[in-house]
Amino acid sequence: MSAVALSRRRWSPWLIVAGLGALVGWSYHGTRVDMGALLSVEGLRQIGVYVARLFPPDLSAGALRDAAIAAVETFAISLVGSVLAACIAFPLALGATRTILYHGVLYEGQRLGRAPKALRLGVYAASKTVLAVLRTVPEIVWALIFVFVVGLGPFPGVLALGVHTGGVLGKLFGEVLEDVDPRPLEALQSTGASRLRIVLYGILPQAIPQFVSYALYRWEVNIRAAAILGLVGAGGLGQRVYVAISLFLEHQLLTLILAIYVMVTLVDALSAWLRARVL
Amino acid sequence: MYELRDVRKVFDDGSVALDGMSLTVGAGEHVAFIGPSGAGKTTLFRILNLTLRPTSGMLRLNGTDVATLSGADLRRARTSIGTIYQQHNLVGRLRVVHNVLAGNLGRWSTLTALGSLLRPRATDEAARALAQVGIPEKLYARTDELSGGQQQRVAIARVLIQDPDVVLADEPVSSVDPTLAVSIVTLLRDISNESRKTLLMNLHSVELALTYFPRILGIREGRVHFDLSPDKVSPEMLEELYAGHGDERGELAALGEGTNSFGKACRPLPGFDR
Repeated sequence: MSAVALSRRRWSPWLIVAGLGALVGWSYHGTRVDMGALLSVEGLRQIGVYVARLFPPDLSAGALRDAAIAAVETFAISLVGSVLAACIAFPLALGATRTILYHGVLYEGQRLGRAPKALRLGVYAASKTVLAVLRTVPEIVWALIFVFVVGLGPFPGVLALGVHTGGVLGKLFGEVLEDVDPRPLEALQSTGASRLRIVLYGILPQAIPQFVSYALYRWEVNIRAAAILGLVGAGGLGQRVYVAISLFLEHQLLTLILAIYVMVTLVDALSAWLRARVL
Repeated sequence: MYELRDVRKVFDDGSVALDGMSLTVGAGEHVAFIGPSGAGKTTLFRILNLTLRPTSGMLRLNGTDVATLSGADLRRARTSIGTIYQQHNLVGRLRVVHNVLAGNLGRWSTLTALGSLLRPRATDEAARALAQVGIPEKLYARTDELSGGQQQRVAIARVLIQDPDVVLADEPVSSVDPTLAVSIVTLLRDISNESRKTLLMNLHSVELALTYFPRILGIREGRVHFDLSPDKVSPEMLEELYAGHGDERGELAALGEGTNSFGKACRPLPGFDR
């Protein structure tokens, strides 16, 4: 590891900074950023006009009830989606962990034969590939696909979050599994325990608190994502926001934005509180 | 019990840990291994508990060439060898009871093992083992909340549950204070005597080795430097064993002056009380 790091050629930090600068400049040009238009008198006036039109929020009983129902739906999408993600991530992560399949302290006492090793390398490669595909497709694209498959409503939202976040968590879980302290594993192995029992008694007890922590953190990310998914018809606050924008219902829009704010803040606080307790 | 002939271990990075080691240990023997750090003692113990394969040479356990063992046979052979490490060999997040009962993992089915994590079984057995090592009240404590010495006792309790024929202790007292070190070494010796187990111990401290063990193996540069009873070990031999290793020589100097860090627990040794 360190030998590899040392032999790798050292790039001058100035060269890296210059390269990144050029990349930013090229992207700035390519995206046609026009700060003049945004910050011109006309631009600022437009912003002012639109913001003024949002006020006051629609606090009628009907609008509030509608926002509350949508907020609860968004909450439920993010929660069920995150649980689904953890269920997808866990088995794939086990398959994406070299130290469980074929490498490291559990394989120093007995070499694997050629065929079993090839099979295990195959499992590893397949798990890594599936996880990569799940996570590189953004949740909004998954939502479009699932809306097409199962129709409008919160269900495609749940599936989209579960599949995308499953890929993200699977990668993180796999890294946690490979990083556990190997010394207890060596001790368990010396009692004659099989590898499956070593996973149960040595690897998972070290890894699960971090699994929970990562899953809770991704839940915070998912509550925001769940508010967006509605824009493509996958339920929750986003769907209401889309309708409010389309029908120029600015006062209701502000109510919905406030509902998103309250909900995200609550979930952030709840998740942070829970995470402090598992680690 | 053990028969090693010309065992070599070369790691992937090319470093030679064992360079042609040969030795025989009979059933029920107590042997201490001493020598400078980096001499290959820990590698030797990993080969002896069958979690590391020698590069070449032969290792027989009770007459069986271990190179022929694999899968379930290899795991069964491991159940007859209990190992205690310097530290960090317990799962800190599990309760003590699970770490102790892990001594059963070579015998239990996976389903039994999983069930015991949810609802510990054989708790009276675990409690008895903990009582034997002097911390019966820690059964349901979280392991990472115990002190270093208490954790070492939990590791010993796990070996008691495993009930092996051989106990390997790799620097079991390097991270505890001197009084505790003496009590852990004597505990391991007494337990091994009671049930006629073979006891092999790596020791950083020459005093403890010479006081508590009838056979001393000096290891240097991956080979057996000497293999003697403690009364035959002379200060000159120890000088030679530790030549070029500064920190351990200070300890030897103190030994030569008749003092040691363990006080009365280690008697003055013949040849050292000049």
